[in-house]
Amino acid sequence: MIEILMILLCAGILISGILAVRLESMVGAVVSAGLASLFAAVTYVILAAPDVAMTEASIGSGLSTVIFLYAIRKTRGED
Amino acid sequence: MAETALTCAYVLIFFSIVFGILRLILGSRTVDRVIAIDLMTVVSIALIALYADHAGRFIYLDVALVYGLLSFLGVLAVARYLEDGL
Repeated sequence: MIEILMILLCAGILISGILAVRLESMVGAVVSAGLASLFAAVTYVILAAPDVAMTEASIGSGLSTVIFLYAIRKTRGED
Repeated sequence: MAETALTCAYVLIFFSIVFGILRLILGSRTVDRVIAIDLMTVVSIALIALYADHAGRFIYLDVALVYGLLSFLGVLAVARYLEDGL
């Protein structure tokens, strides 16, 4: 059961990476990149590395999304 | 009984992730994608908690706790951005 979910999570990382490159909307791309980090964190937990998963969840998915949005707001001011 | 409930939880989490990814791909507006990602955040927290029980290592619940706090912050930041805040 967990193997099927693992395959689904890895497919989700691939799909969200492709979407982060191909989406027109800036916010959609940033949020898709955050989703790739989220699924990577869950994958790390399943691979028995909870400390790596905690770092990935806090920095990769939490902090970088906020910093990207802040940078887009500061530089362009439009969507 | 408990095994049946846990298997049902795995199946429900599987279909939640599948439909969340479908909404993420098909979603025409930005708000649809943000809501889909918020859904998958909650489902991922549930998956981590379920796997902590499956593996019998309850240190994994700390990851779910940290992620639950930080995902709220991320969705809040996106919402403030869409409302011309931040």
